[in-house]
Amino acid sequence: MAFSAFLESRREDCKALVEALSASFSYVSILGSHVTSSRISVDRRSSNIGEGSLSECGFVIKLSNGGAFMEYSLDDISGDKAELAEKIRSSLVIDDALADRTVKVPLPADEPMVRSFVRESDLGSYSDSDILAFNTSMRDQILAEDERIVNAFVVAMPFTVSKLFVTKNRELDQTYSWVNLNSMVVLRDGEKMVQTYDGTYSHLLKEAMEAFPPVAKELARRAGKLVHAKPIEPGVYDVITDSTISGLIAHEAFGHGVEMDQFVKDRAQAKDYVGQYVASPICNMRDGAASALSTASYFFDDDGVLAHDTQIIKDGILVAGISDLASASVLGTEATGNGRRESYKRKSYARMTNTFFDPGKDKLEDMIASVEHGYMLFQTNNGMEDPKNWQIQCTAEYGIEIVDGKLTDNYVSPVVMSGYVPDLLKSISMVSDTCKVIGSGGCGKGYKEWVRVSDGGPALKVKVKLA
Amino acid sequence: MSWNLEQLLRANAAVDDYKIRSDKTESYELFFVHDKLETTRSTDTTETTVTVYVDHDGFRGDSSFKLYAATTEAEAAQKIADAVKKAGVIKNQMYALPENETLDGVVASNFTEMTPAALAKAMADAVFGAELYAHGSINALEIFVYRHVVTVKNSRGIDKRETKYSAMIEAIPTWNEGESVELYECQRFNRFDAAKVTAEIEQKMREVRDRAYAKAPAEKPACTVVLDAAELAQLIGDIAYDLDYATVYAGSNPFSIGHTVQKEPTGDKLNVTMRGMVEGSVASALFDADGTTLVDTEVIRDGIVVDYCGSHRFAQYLERKTTGRLVCMDVAAGTLTDAELAGKPYFRCVSMSGLQVDVYNDYIGGEVRLAYYCENGETVPMTGISISGKLSAALASMRLSAERTATGNYYGPKLAAFEGIEIV
Repeated sequence: MAFSAFLESRREDCKALVEALSASFSYVSILGSHVTSSRISVDRRSSNIGEGSLSECGFVIKLSNGGAFMEYSLDDISGDKAELAEKIRSSLVIDDALADRTVKVPLPADEPMVRSFVRESDLGSYSDSDILAFNTSMRDQILAEDERIVNAFVVAMPFTVSKLFVTKNRELDQTYSWVNLNSMVVLRDGEKMVQTYDGTYSHLLKEAMEAFPPVAKELARRAGKLVHAKPIEPGVYDVITDSTISGLIAHEAFGHGVEMDQFVKDRAQAKDYVGQYVASPICNMRDGAASALSTASYFFDDDGVLAHDTQIIKDGILVAGISDLASASVLGTEATGNGRRESYKRKSYARMTNTFFDPGKDKLEDMIASVEHGYMLFQTNNGMEDPKNWQIQCTAEYGIEIVDGKLTDNYVSPVVMSGYVPDLLKSISMVSDTCKVIGSGGCGKGYKEWVRVSDGGPALKVKVKLA
Repeated sequence: MSWNLEQLLRANAAVDDYKIRSDKTESYELFFVHDKLETTRSTDTTETTVTVYVDHDGFRGDSSFKLYAATTEAEAAQKIADAVKKAGVIKNQMYALPENETLDGVVASNFTEMTPAALAKAMADAVFGAELYAHGSINALEIFVYRHVVTVKNSRGIDKRETKYSAMIEAIPTWNEGESVELYECQRFNRFDAAKVTAEIEQKMREVRDRAYAKAPAEKPACTVVLDAAELAQLIGDIAYDLDYATVYAGSNPFSIGHTVQKEPTGDKLNVTMRGMVEGSVASALFDADGTTLVDTEVIRDGIVVDYCGSHRFAQYLERKTTGRLVCMDVAAGTLTDAELAGKPYFRCVSMSGLQVDVYNDYIGGEVRLAYYCENGETVPMTGISISGKLSAALASMRLSAERTATGNYYGPKLAAFEGIEIV
């Protein structure tokens, strides 16, 4: 995949606009973003090849004189730069009363750097028709598995990101791709209907396609089990989490909790717990665009900071948070490359990337064998954070009852896990020696600002309330 | 774009039909850390999505692509040619596009009375003007003011344009006495009422104060559970949104016409009408993404599904009337009064991590960040608890308030009371 020709054609425009705006502002950065994405879907009765939801093309300009930041998003920056600079300045005028009560933020560092980054991809080797044919064959395979399946949806969502970041001293560009292959199965048995979903993902379409057939087969089998699932009897249980649920815990418990823009706002209790035990001593957790190769892996963030691999929890002790450029500037810490925008139209915040627990030393079979009565939980449905007060809610699509150290055939669905974050993390008593990072996630900050994230980890043994 | 897109589309003989949807968005945004302004943003962007339709072998295929401000005429012609190829391998049942309607309208709003910057400032003043008490603060505030101009044109004579305004206020009321606690407050509206914004922030500030004093009860109460309008909107929305023609065509609708949503109801019967607009909602629209005029449709009457609604395409597939995609929800008032509610103990959930509703597995539940246990005129704030129950039992016992309110895309009862939901 080559870097966007459009962004390349605007490289000199970016430099010229930085210069024009530098007459009025001490810090000027321009991020150009060109994302191409498609959505190739098929189900029992229809199909579609269309533009993906990630597609975008535009620029965001960030300005500072040491007070409040100013940002302007626009479609193109060609044309007269003095005129454009004036338009930007006039669009960002603030009321005098507000001008008197702005934050005081040190100017962001603007260390010199000129680099280009490319991650190889095979997306160019497949036409949309090839992908449609693959999806169709997978749909047919799923439908053939069980006559109670009323529909099977198979959706491919490949995308390629090109970004250009320019300041007075910095000129970075990057190109990378990712693909998600998702499926949802709808099964009806009498009056009961269930939906279940799963998928594969990779930076290579070939890999995602090769991994898909067993996932499709398992989906059909799982739907057949879930149609007989019962509600869980609410209570506190010994629980084994699969990688998706471990990842959800990592994400909701101490992912959002260490986004350092929340430190600045006094919205995260973790700010006061750095250097303290917040989890079991066998618990280790990290985040970073460079921590794993997954959907949230990039070379530099939307603030022009290179990707990091940040250890968040080490042997149960909270050691660091993750930051965007602004929060790092305020807090006087090194930015960790976690400044991310939903699109060039939105603000940059400190956001998670690839967030996961490190593997431990236990065997999964030993972990299950250690449970007298409890549940193993599978497949993330959704979760909600509360960094200020450390409440957590994670919803698993289903659980399987464990009795006398063995998985039974008793399925429960859905399962809502909730509690107090340190209680949950300190209850971790076993950590499996395997680790999987799930590259198909999306995450909002509160209820907006959606970005792609991965999470995961090993299986964990915890004690927690289920309902 | 200095070139004519429709001319390019008509010039490609393989294009049987086309649709062009464009959204020009201007925004002004303010971001505060505590009461200090941290960032000011302004945006001016336009996004155009083109869909081409190709009829072949008795099927209709379609494919869409985006155009940007910098797209050249040659690039657009190539994108059209590429889309034609893609549409040529899509084999969907034939359908026609909506035809021959024009419109240039504005969704009612009072946002035109001020500039976006002045409006955003007035919203900030309304938030910070709230009574914060000795230990209260607003630790973060984000304000977004938008103006959208949406146009839809197609090859069959649809030519529509609507101007819409919207705002979002996201505030974090915080109580800083002992262990600091916060709640999340989000308001979305297209009609600004400063006094209403202030009143809602003050209400949330009282709630966050109560959260600071709330404790997990030693013994979990067993009583009526009450959900507020936001959770009620989600609960009823999860049922109503599955009554869309596209969901029905795909066979993944859990409820169908004639299906009883409330089996053996002992409370108020549910009545839901899907609408194009509800007063003050940012989801209000004059037409849908196809340019189809929106027709309000009653989908649930007395707890029984009576109709579906949805787009022109899927209406044709199901041989039903075209209503357009309706996203606003009007739920009829019930009979529950404050006096009746106060007559017995109840547990009112005012802040949840997120209500979990699973219509497939007959489940309703979620973690409660703040609830009030009310008995004999006394109110005790509680936290650290969850609710869990069977959705079918909850719906059967549901009592809807006589008083209605608007939140998001919902206009309906202000609260609802349920039996059989366990507090755990």
